[in-house]
Amino acid sequence: MIRLLRCIQIVLVALLPISLVHAGESGTMIKADELKAEPFHDSKSVSSLAVGDKVIILKKDGGWLKVKSDKGSGWMRMLSIRRGTVAGKATAGASGLASLASGRAGTGKVVATTGIRGLNEEELKAAKYDEDEVKQAESFVTTRAEAQKFAAKGKLKVQQVDYLAGEEK
Amino acid sequence: MKYSAGRVLFGLALWSCMSAAFSLNLDELKRAADELKQKRDSATSELDKKAKSAGLIAYSDQEEAAIGRQIAGNLLGAAPLVKDKQLQKYVNNVGRWVASQSERPDLAWHFGVIDTADINAFAAPGGYIFVTRGLYRMLNDESELAGVLAHEVGHVVRKHHLKILQQSQVVDQGGNLLEKQAGGNEKIRNLIGNGAEIVARALDKSAEFEADRIAVVLAARGGYEAYGLPQVLQEIGHGANDDSVALLFKTHPPPDERLARLGDAMDGRFDKLQGKSLATRFYRVKQ
Repeated sequence: MIRLLRCIQIVLVALLPISLVHAGESGTMIKADELKAEPFHDSKSVSSLAVGDKVIILKKDGGWLKVKSDKGSGWMRMLSIRRGTVAGKATAGASGLASLASGRAGTGKVVATTGIRGLNEEELKAAKYDEDEVKQAESFVTTRAEAQKFAAKGKLKVQQVDYLAGEEK
Repeated sequence: MKYSAGRVLFGLALWSCMSAAFSLNLDELKRAADELKQKRDSATSELDKKAKSAGLIAYSDQEEAAIGRQIAGNLLGAAPLVKDKQLQKYVNNVGRWVASQSERPDLAWHFGVIDTADINAFAAPGGYIFVTRGLYRMLNDESELAGVLAHEVGHVVRKHHLKILQQSQVVDQGGNLLEKQAGGNEKIRNLIGNGAEIVARALDKSAEFEADRIAVVLAARGGYEAYGLPQVLQEIGHGANDDSVALLFKTHPPPDERLARLGDAMDGRFDKLQGKSLATRFYRVKQ
């Protein structure tokens, strides 16, 4: 019985991460990187992909994506791939175009077509202090000990990980 | 009778051995904790010294908290909390757990989800952290929430916004911020201005990259899948590109650049870690 439960658990755990990536989703390499046989950085290389190479994403495992490309199939670091097909969507300048398309341009404000207001700089500048809301926010405080219990419930285990060095320092 | 007495004795001996070993461990732990605290204190005072030598004001933790509280109140004036107690409590649980993995585990950390469709997250000094409903709705599991909150925790831990305030010339240098005054704390209000502009101020790009690097580490320390934040960045990068992300894109480097930098910094160091994403426990909002 326990073994059966364990099996079900393993299957469930194995299935969960996959559901987050739509299998067959496409992606583009944002930097040159090695395609690996296994999802580990010391695994052997299958081939190397260049910036701009297209891939089809098959599944996910931690920080790795299993992909198919013209240069072979294997595991690629998630962080070397931009998911989706449309390039350059993530640039700030493009937002004006989106505003035009949605008929919101020109007014400088979000028109209440959706009934939901955005949070722009003007609104933030004009914001008035709300003591009641601060008190509300503070009423939900979690103590360190409560957080510990919450973590234990989720079977979260503390791991020793050093801070990463950056170029800026 | 004899037999059971022997067993009791054996048990006692075993117990005392174990407790000796345990107390030894405790001593070691305490020593390690003291050392860590010393290191932490000297790092903080180093920061303060640097601030002072640059002609800036070093704020006490209480002053920092008072500043943060005022900013939080202003932000909440623009967008109130989502009226969902379970959600707010859940976010505080996750947030406090990742904050506990930082070098400021005992700040009065507060987390919240604010009611706007905008996709963004904000940090104010002293540990007041808010994510928008728009961003929360994009998340798929608890590790992604942990990653987003940990990024903001990183800003607070490294005092990124506080440094901006320290550089501002609005407040008189000798002033005591915690002075009680009728009608609220005017000095703090003078310092931060009336609105919540400070939370929408673009930080140095380097501060954003630093917060990203801290975020993956804090999440991993807390037992989460380290790639929660990168996953959210990918989603933002290829997802909606309308007014809801305008402010985020204006004040942060593009997601692609953040992902590429993170990839370089992480460089396979997280491959062997076992982290949880906790998709089933993740609290989903109705709207």
